[in-house]
Amino acid sequence: MTSRKPPTAPTPPASSVPGSQPACPGLPGSGRQLQIEARGLTRIYQLGVSEVVGIDNIDLQISNGELVVLKGNSGSGKSTLLALLAGLDQPTRGGLIVAGRNLNQATTRELTQYRRETVGVVFQSFNLLPTLTVLENVSLPALLAGRAFSTVTAKASELLAWLGLAPRLDHLPAQLSGGEMQRTAIARALINDPAIILADEPTGNLDSLNGRIVMELLGSVNRNLGTTIIIATHSDLADSIATTAIGLKDGAIIDSVCTS
Amino acid sequence: MHELAAFLHLWLWFGVRQLRIHLWRTLAVLVGIALGAAVFTSVRLAVEASLDSFTKSVDALSGKSDWTVLCPGGRVPEALLAGLVKHPAVQAASPLSTTYVQIGEETAEPFLLIGLDPILDRPLRTWQSASPVSPDSFSNPPSNPQPPSSAIRNPTLPWLELMTEPYTMIAGAQLYDAARLQDRSYVSLVHPHGTGTFRVLGRLAAEGLAMVEGGKIAVTDMATFQEFTGTHGTVDRIDLMLKPAAAADGLERLRAELPPGIVLEQPSDFKESGRLMVRSYQLNLSVLSFVSLFVGMFLIYSLISLHAISRRKELAILRSLGASSRLVFLLFLAEGAFFGILGWLLAIPLGSFMVRYLLGHVSSTISVLFVRVEVERLVLDPAEVLLSFLTTLLVSLLAAWQPAHEAMQVAPREALQAQDYPYRHGTSGKRLALFGFALIALVWPLSRLPGVDGVPVPGYVATFFLFTGFSLISPRVLQYIGKLLPPVLRHLAGEPAYLGGRHIRDAGTRIAISVGALITATALFVALVIMVHSFKKTVELWLTQTISGDLYLRPRLAAVNHYRDTLAPETVEIVKRFSEQADILPYRRIYLHYGTVPYQFELMDFEGFMKYAQFLFLDGDLQQLLPQLVEGRGVIVSEVFANQTGTGIGKHFQARIGNVRLDLPVVGIFRDYRSQGGAVYYSMQRFQDLSGDPSWSGVRFNFTDPQMTRDDAANLLRNELLQALGPLQYGVEVTLGRELRQMILRIFDETFAITTVLLLIALAVATLGITSTLTVLVLDRTRQFLTILACGGARGQVRLMILWEALIMVFTGEILGLACGFTLSYLLIFVINRQSFGWTFLYTVDWPALLLALPLILATAVLATLPSGQIVFRTPPARVLREW
Repeated sequence: MTSRKPPTAPTPPASSVPGSQPACPGLPGSGRQLQIEARGLTRIYQLGVSEVVGIDNIDLQISNGELVVLKGNSGSGKSTLLALLAGLDQPTRGGLIVAGRNLNQATTRELTQYRRETVGVVFQSFNLLPTLTVLENVSLPALLAGRAFSTVTAKASELLAWLGLAPRLDHLPAQLSGGEMQRTAIARALINDPAIILADEPTGNLDSLNGRIVMELLGSVNRNLGTTIIIATHSDLADSIATTAIGLKDGAIIDSVCTS
Repeated sequence: MHELAAFLHLWLWFGVRQLRIHLWRTLAVLVGIALGAAVFTSVRLAVEASLDSFTKSVDALSGKSDWTVLCPGGRVPEALLAGLVKHPAVQAASPLSTTYVQIGEETAEPFLLIGLDPILDRPLRTWQSASPVSPDSFSNPPSNPQPPSSAIRNPTLPWLELMTEPYTMIAGAQLYDAARLQDRSYVSLVHPHGTGTFRVLGRLAAEGLAMVEGGKIAVTDMATFQEFTGTHGTVDRIDLMLKPAAAADGLERLRAELPPGIVLEQPSDFKESGRLMVRSYQLNLSVLSFVSLFVGMFLIYSLISLHAISRRKELAILRSLGASSRLVFLLFLAEGAFFGILGWLLAIPLGSFMVRYLLGHVSSTISVLFVRVEVERLVLDPAEVLLSFLTTLLVSLLAAWQPAHEAMQVAPREALQAQDYPYRHGTSGKRLALFGFALIALVWPLSRLPGVDGVPVPGYVATFFLFTGFSLISPRVLQYIGKLLPPVLRHLAGEPAYLGGRHIRDAGTRIAISVGALITATALFVALVIMVHSFKKTVELWLTQTISGDLYLRPRLAAVNHYRDTLAPETVEIVKRFSEQADILPYRRIYLHYGTVPYQFELMDFEGFMKYAQFLFLDGDLQQLLPQLVEGRGVIVSEVFANQTGTGIGKHFQARIGNVRLDLPVVGIFRDYRSQGGAVYYSMQRFQDLSGDPSWSGVRFNFTDPQMTRDDAANLLRNELLQALGPLQYGVEVTLGRELRQMILRIFDETFAITTVLLLIALAVATLGITSTLTVLVLDRTRQFLTILACGGARGQVRLMILWEALIMVFTGEILGLACGFTLSYLLIFVINRQSFGWTFLYTVDWPALLLALPLILATAVLATLPSGQIVFRTPPARVLREW
């Protein structure tokens, strides 16, 4: 696999909505709508006879358009919190409202719809389907949402072009570099115009150069599309683009800093 | 529509591509399903073709007749016809007689000669000469009289010549072509009563009567028929067409006016009786052929289950992207449907090939065992084709159901896990085992239940429970073996054997599925080997003890003509002259029906019989019963008769045979394996006293000197007999006892040839399943095996590990299959066979065959692991072991 020169800061596609500078949550007069609100959020896992606390009694408020970095070591609860926000899991107790949906009371069907329409997820290990091409991987969430094939593939092509992957549309994941795979994953996360993008260690499997490019991309999406982005990472690459940094340790928030 | 298109898109991406990537395992499953579907379809089509042929024959022969006048065990006096024709309730009446004859030499295939009144028959049956006969000159045969010079010859009504010209016939198309007949040619026909030269007037048009027995028939005038067969003044039956306005009381009046011994029956009774006889055979073959499809179901289950497990991460990703669990379920169900539909399509060419082989065997078996059929061509019944398609599809969907259900349970949260863990520990199997034992426990009470209308429904249900129960307990058994065996294996064979055994314990239901397939196939193999061996040994015993005559003489074509013709008095007189050379035991055999159940009423000299033979009694002892039987105060019945009619010991046998009415207690039940129904034995002397009919159906000779070399003596006696009979010899068959017994055993072997083929196909499908599953199981654990290499293991050790796993799996399957098979053999012999056909056998096990076959199955399955061992090491370990 030859390495290609990664794209520099991309120009957003024509459909982007320019937004104002994000503001820290809770600041009076910020005028921002609350996107995510968690109260006493707890997730406990039952493993055989023992219990493992993923997160414990977390209160969280994230406004529309923020780019939040969740920081913490392994086992701090970052992935657990992300899983709950992504609708991949449900809390043991506490309240969680995301984009107006009460996730802990949601049915399985409602969670499925939520995952389709409201969030886009970027995984550490990319999680591209190995038998699908780049274009097909990106189109998949939109097809699952019931959109017409021709419309979806057109939009997917546009997104991929924006991300510098136009020559790779028919390639399988095994034919891509790590950076290309993650950009494909980002395009997939964007295809349904989600309100929120959740990225779990998006640079964990990338070299520093590609990692920086991915972070810049996410920053660009946040700035230009106004998409709320939450990145779980223990890398410093996201510091420069974050509006808020939240520290986690042993399942609890230890600090929350407005960095914008 | 849009949703369907979207689903198909997804399925093509997610499902079809995966199948294409793993092409060999996909093909293995497709071939397995195709084989199963082909077998199931071709067996049913073959039997349906025979049934169709039989039904068409009976319908064509019955024509438009509503009722038939018959004399059970005898012939109808022709004098009745005049009264019937004039009867107020009767619109038309026509006499009919039939017999099988041969053209020329003894080895020629017999065909049906139909005698009728060409004028009276017109309203009832359709038949017509295909070509008009021109009034040209013809050569005179040496023995026939000169044709009348003023004979009516009407080219448009050639059938009239049947009446005006004696010894003429019109042949069906099949006979005409097969015997290379020509219009106006002469042909010599042979009948027990003698030979006759017939002139062929033409061929029958392809309609009505010409459809009987596939056209292997000929029609002649009744007077010619009676003269040729020596049945002057009698006919087989008189068919009636009633007036539309004939009321029920008109029918009853008609019935009451018939003389004693003459009955009125509906033509459909014979058809139904014949169909019922074949139905059990059809059902048994269908069930047997379904086993191949059932085993194929395991293949689908196994493969889709493996896909669901190995692609767990992909499923989680799909779910995390917004796919509903229902969609995931449907994707996997669609995979099952794909195998079913494509497998069925592949079955079409396979089935076309198979049915050609099966058609001949099935129709010949049915003809020998039940009713005579002549299948000219296959009938592609749309209902059968649809049944085959739907059964294959349903089986495939059922097989995919559970894996699809498991796949839909994958939590979207698993998408967040960094590593792919396709390999999961199997379920404990405890609940499955309990359910399995419960099913097995139900087998015995089910086997005690009676059949439903002669169909052993509880027996089949018990069989299904047995297969399913043993398959369900296999995970638990594998777990126990996996717990107990590895430490022992470590001592005996080292660490690879230990690891192989450990995997057996941990793999749970993943490997249990293919073990289930092997259990099913092995059980069927064991059960059929035991059943066929038991049947054969019992038949051999029956032959040596009951069919123990040294020489047999009977009318020519006696069997195919159902012993309608008795030995000519002249023949009997000549036979009696040989009473010093051998003991002569005459018998009389009459084919009758008990309700709808056909049977043979046989008259014999019990005392004479007992000197040289014995019955294999299930209930009763001939020595004790002898006085009663000799005096005609009771009958003994065959097991088949007792089971099919419910007339056993303690019940009364009632029958009207000619002018003799019998009402006798049943005093014994014996084993009998003749074809075409059960048997009832009565004293010949007593019956002759009652009926005044001294006729013989045949004679059995037994040499009195036990030291004599029987074959030589029998041959000598046969030659002397034939010489003494002179021209009468052409009306009889003289068979050595040894030849008769060999012929019966040959029929037996041919009958079970189909069963053997079906069994081998089921075994092939199971082996295919084991092979593909073993391969997939190995490939899916490539990372594990390569990790072992990375930790210092050798390739040979990894291969040994795979080999030990295969050995343990197949060995477990065979042991459980043996246990299941022995149980199944009891079900087959004492339940299914008894309720289907009425007979049981002496249970004997063919240990040499089992001891030889089981290691072969083991070796075959183990050989299947060799290619997978090679494929594992093809991928560079470093590439596989990296996280992504």
